Amino acid sequence: MTSESFDRSRPTLRIDAQFDRLDRIYAPGAPLTARYWIAGIGQEQVRSIERSVDWYTEGKGEEDLGVHFFERIPPPSPTDAVVEGTVTTTLPASPLSYEGVIVKVRWCLRVRVFFTSGRDFVSEHVFAVGDLPPARPAAPATRIAPPVPVIRGEPT
Amino acid sequence: MRLPRFFGKKRGERRTGSQRWGSFGEAAFHGALVCAGVAFATLLASGVAVPEWRINHDFQPTRCRVRGTGLVRRTVEDPPGSFSTTWRPTVLVRYEAEGRQFESWSHSRGPASFGRATAAARLPSWPIGSEVPGWYDPSDPEMIVLERGYNWWMWLLALLLPGALLGFGMTGLVRTARRWGRSEEAIAASTGLVDLLDPSRRPPAGAGVMPGVPACDDLVNSPGTVLRYRLPIESADTWTLFGLGLFAVLWNAVLAVLAVGAGLDLAGGRIDWLLIALLIPFAAIGCTGIVLFVRQLFLAAAVGTTQIEISDHPLRPGGRYDVLLAQSGAGTMHDLGLSLELEEQATFHQGTDTRTESLVVVQRPVRAWGLLQLDPTSRFEERMTVEIPVDTMHSFVTEHNAVRWRFVVRGKPSRWPAFVRVFPIIVHPRDTARQTSAAEPAPIGTVA
Repeated sequence: MTSESFDRSRPTLRIDAQFDRLDRIYAPGAPLTARYWIAGIGQEQVRSIERSVDWYTEGKGEEDLGVHFFERIPPPSPTDAVVEGTVTTTLPASPLSYEGVIVKVRWCLRVRVFFTSGRDFVSEHVFAVGDLPPARPAAPATRIAPPVPVIRGEPT
Repeated sequence: MRLPRFFGKKRGERRTGSQRWGSFGEAAFHGALVCAGVAFATLLASGVAVPEWRINHDFQPTRCRVRGTGLVRRTVEDPPGSFSTTWRPTVLVRYEAEGRQFESWSHSRGPASFGRATAAARLPSWPIGSEVPGWYDPSDPEMIVLERGYNWWMWLLALLLPGALLGFGMTGLVRTARRWGRSEEAIAASTGLVDLLDPSRRPPAGAGVMPGVPACDDLVNSPGTVLRYRLPIESADTWTLFGLGLFAVLWNAVLAVLAVGAGLDLAGGRIDWLLIALLIPFAAIGCTGIVLFVRQLFLAAAVGTTQIEISDHPLRPGGRYDVLLAQSGAGTMHDLGLSLELEEQATFHQGTDTRTESLVVVQRPVRAWGLLQLDPTSRFEERMTVEIPVDTMHSFVTEHNAVRWRFVVRGKPSRWPAFVRVFPIIVHPRDTARQTSAAEPAPIGTVA
């Protein structure tokens, strides 16, 4: 099988990334720079590499994907033991990262390696845009005050 | 040995797998549909289009003397064990073609009749001994027709199946070709036909000013009487009223057709007990539909309209806005409340069904009134200030997920059922001036 877990002879592909903010929290509209390293390609031939800055939804609904930055770059030299690259972009004003109850919005840097065999390997590195606190289900509706008689136009 | 992977796998933050086999299966399915469409289209062309075209273009005119008339009977077994018979009129004519005299039965065209009498009723159109125009096949002069023209209704019906197969199959093939060997990011990043024809016209990254934030054009096109904008209402009651009205009209239309049929039978001295037995429950359901519709209509009119006006739109987290609530109607309103809500909405597939689930995650009461006396001559109006919470999500809408802000008015008239009226609003992300700059930038160059 092509699955890496069953193919002991194939070296484990590993993609690491480092962001220019240690906490990986960015303000909307802020510049982002991330550097990535691809190691363990081994003897398999790489067809191309795609790198993208995306947002996607998680939760109960079907996943929706938005691509903010996308670039396909030519394959590295077969002699390179480690392939590295840098992604620089200015983040948009929205959507903000959101930790809702049934809807979540996440931002990530994705690096996808395509091999000539048709297989591909993708690594996802999550970061946050904005610093919204997680949402919680709202308590059942309550009134501000018990109803009291009012004259027209006079609030309680 | 490497076997093909038929599915992708997600493990934590990494996903592996090839989509080629999935795309291949999809392409094969849609290719089969296209092949079936081509096969049906070929059958249609050879069985209907070409003969009809030849009759209208190749056949030569002549004059025919009617020698006799008859009916062509065609019996087919479909389904097995069940036989159906159709009838077509045919005419025996004598005519001259290619310098020779021929006498043959005309080739029947036009729709076949299931009743012998219906087909026979057309025969007087060709009185015996009369001379009528005809058209013969120059390659087979014994083949003659007495009618020409195109049967557009049959063409439409015959084109429906191959057209649908070809359309569905071709669309699927194009979609598969667009996705073939491409990642989901590449597909999402492409701008479709524009990208395919002219990559230079592709919009630059970040061209959408606020991706995922819905436009609020439809919410700012109605000016308010006191404040700047009047918000449109999104009430479930309106849809209930519309649905009940539609149901009542359609159901009772069917009922009327059945009732007319039963009435004609009765007038003809025949009683169809099965039809009458069906009419009784149908009439009961129809009456119930009318009663429910009238009741809903009466409730909508009796409670009175609710309006909300706002000083600005779209809104921003942390912003304060003037809001005017107006309620018309008559009588006593036991409860009336205005709240600001944030609702999450997720659409997902469950088997073959598409379901949508909603959950309110922010519910802030704005103001409430009790035992309100409404005057039919002037509406109740109240102006207040509403602040949008700072640390909350902006409005967000994608194909399957949404985070929606709205004003909700809940009321409980003293004599009528409670009502809920929803007024959507759009909240943009807060100004980027408030940067998350607490964390220092990390030096690039080492693996974290």
